[in-house]
Amino acid sequence: MFERFTKDARAVVVGAVEHSERTGAETVGEEHLLLALLDREASRASFALASLGLTGERRESVERSLTEARRRGGLSRADADALSGLGIDLSEIVSRVEEAHGEGVLAPGRKTGGRRAKRRAFAEGAKGVVERSLRMAVARHDRRIGDEHFLLALTVRPGVPAEVLADHGVTYEKVMRVLYGDGGTAKAG
Amino acid sequence: MTDATDLAERAGDRDPRIGLRAVSALRRLLEQLEAVQVRSARNQGWSWQEIAAELGVSRQAVHKKYGRQ
Repeated sequence: MFERFTKDARAVVVGAVEHSERTGAETVGEEHLLLALLDREASRASFALASLGLTGERRESVERSLTEARRRGGLSRADADALSGLGIDLSEIVSRVEEAHGEGVLAPGRKTGGRRAKRRAFAEGAKGVVERSLRMAVARHDRRIGDEHFLLALTVRPGVPAEVLADHGVTYEKVMRVLYGDGGTAKAG
Repeated sequence: MTDATDLAERAGDRDPRIGLRAVSALRRLLEQLEAVQVRSARNQGWSWQEIAAELGVSRQAVHKKYGRQ
């Protein structure tokens, strides 16, 4: 599959691994793919993101939102709302656990102890994004998988990256419109 | 606490999506909380057996999950 990736798509995969290392995570997650996408310049995804106003401060705001979600154990705001429906205050739990065990301890995929994995693996969610990207490229009869397919896949998979993107005005429909000039009524894949 | 009637209202919400979402969120939160506590116990010199006893699972289960990551 990797040979069908464009240069930019490969750079995103490599970049995601680097972001995972930098954040001290054990695996490469969907949020690392998004961070790597935000780093791209002069690619199809970066064109789409820039067209939707995700540059400069807005881009930093996305990065901050991702960091906050990591501190909440990788839970999205929708998750926090659902928990609050049960009377559970997620931010209270996070602050108490951090008080006792240190800032950022609830971040998922941290090292638990024992031997380190030799190779940094992609987490289930990140694998799902790559698979979805492939299906989207196939459905569109695109011969290569580009970083724009990663972006589209991230916007349709429920979770933190899609929520953060939507909060910043980046949805599947809008990305489809700036990329292909259509509303993307049918979600490919 | 937030508005008590609001909470009571939502806790009784019949929409399965909201209830299932809460269960899924709770499960993921639980996983992270468990990892924090196991790490902490190991750092304080607890054996796998002692950790497993507190968690109510077998020593093998906890070691398999956290021993070789």
